[in-house]
Amino acid sequence: MSKILIVDDEPHIRYLLELTLEELEDDGAELLFAENGAIALEIIRAEQPQLVLLDVMMPEMDGFTVCDTVKNELAMKDIYIVLLTAKGQELDRNKGEAAGADLYMTKPFNPDDVLELARKILNI
Amino acid sequence: MPPVLLSKLLKKRQLAALVADLAAALACPLAILDAEENLLQSFAVSDALPLKRFTVSLQGTQLGWVCGDDKARVLAAILGYHAELELERRELGAETLHKYKEIALLYSMAEHVPSCAETEEIIERLIESLHQVITFDTVTVLLFDHENEILKVSASDDENFPVGSKIMPTGIMETVWHSGKGELVNDLPQDPRFTELKTPAYSLICTPLRSKETMTGLIRISSRQTLDYTAEDLKLLTTLSTQAAVQVENATLYRQLKDSFYTMVYTLAETIEMRDPYTGNHTKRVTEYSLAIGRVLKLSEYQLNRLELSAVLHDVGKIGVPDTVLLKQGPLDDDEFHQIKQHTRYGEEILHRIPQLYDIIPGVKSHHERFDGRGYPEGLQGDEIDIKARIIAVADTFDAMTTDRPYRRGFPFEEAYEELRKNAGTQFDPAIVDAFFEIDVMEAYFAARTKSDYATVLK
Repeated sequence: MSKILIVDDEPHIRYLLELTLEELEDDGAELLFAENGAIALEIIRAEQPQLVLLDVMMPEMDGFTVCDTVKNELAMKDIYIVLLTAKGQELDRNKGEAAGADLYMTKPFNPDDVLELARKILNI
Repeated sequence: MPPVLLSKLLKKRQLAALVADLAAALACPLAILDAEENLLQSFAVSDALPLKRFTVSLQGTQLGWVCGDDKARVLAAILGYHAELELERRELGAETLHKYKEIALLYSMAEHVPSCAETEEIIERLIESLHQVITFDTVTVLLFDHENEILKVSASDDENFPVGSKIMPTGIMETVWHSGKGELVNDLPQDPRFTELKTPAYSLICTPLRSKETMTGLIRISSRQTLDYTAEDLKLLTTLSTQAAVQVENATLYRQLKDSFYTMVYTLAETIEMRDPYTGNHTKRVTEYSLAIGRVLKLSEYQLNRLELSAVLHDVGKIGVPDTVLLKQGPLDDDEFHQIKQHTRYGEEILHRIPQLYDIIPGVKSHHERFDGRGYPEGLQGDEIDIKARIIAVADTFDAMTTDRPYRRGFPFEEAYEELRKNAGTQFDPAIVDAFFEIDVMEAYFAARTKSDYATVLK
């Protein structure tokens, strides 16, 4: 089953992404949520989602660390990771690339783009 | 389908826990069914479903039932209440999502402001963006035609406004055009200003395209379905159309600037040519031949543009050569020839003062260089000579040979062709000569004549 993990410490962003992607549930996708990096890693290990939408700015463990752990330490390179960052933090892009992120998206992201991307990655 | 599904609601972790706790506390058999009577969840039900049923409803819509004894009523009420909360949350969320889409769109529009896009391209982009955020059946963009002082349909998928037609705004459009303020009208037939159209619409929004204080046009979107536009929609259309209007104005200014620059360049070239009327139209022919060669060589649009400017200005330096030398009939002595040669250097000096023309200096300065290195002013050879100059050299020589001069008649074309062939590889780049033989010489020749303001009679 296709799984998408949404990681953000802000509940309203998680909810927005849920609303954006929930039509995929009808096509058999499952949406998973995590409010911090540690929980995200736990879910990634257990559920192996195809796609992770990962906020960069989170307390304790940030998105770069999560991404780096997944891609390099756990060697789960097939998981497509999208780093989400606020407008104006484009400098972080290099850091994101170093951590092995597949894509970098700036907030406010266009919901249509997110949905299109998810469909492409999940092939549904 | 009801706006909220009971099955999805029960998957929410918190609510699922609450329902389980409640069922335990009520300590009676309970079953939750969806609207199609499918069993979603049950507690302490042995075989048959309990007899009493309580409806779970949301704003009059039945979402399902809770079966059990009288106490089951509590669970049905709680589920109904949660469904209502979920609906509210969903509506707020949808609205936020829509706002998010708008913000993302505005960001991307601001980011991709084209510096010199064509008006059509800007309008196309505007319509594309509108489709993403507002629902409408037809859209029409009218632009003010300053020459004829009338609004012209620049883009439209509305059969009431065919593209290219000229329109005196009537009704609501007239109001907007004169007030400069956007309007939205729902239930259009009720509006006193409504005028019957071929294809009727139920609601419309019309806003001006304005940049600073100038009205440049109107945009009108309409819906045939009974759909009520909101003040939000009006605001959004206004924002997007204002952005587009500023871009259209920039595009117009850019085009005007470019036109006046080209006019200046051509005027400069013609002024110089007028000193020596016998060369009659030489510059224009050299330009046409050069461009034709450039196209055979598949130069890019940009390169062709630079080639054109180089060809137009190739003799600009002649302004510094005295009349006694420039207009002399008969052969030149060494000193006079030295003075004539200086025109390539003068050309460079003149163009050096115009930053927009720096990059054509090699094309102008080197048009008397020879492929074998025996030309002037620098004695460059082969690929050292700018390609524009190599092209102009062929075009310039060909035209000089085939036109009459005060001191000699021009050669017939055939002889000139022979001359080019003979000098390919010495005076000329052979690849350019080959390209020259692929062009339609007569077509270029006549193109130069029709473009001419003071064309001499074909001799």
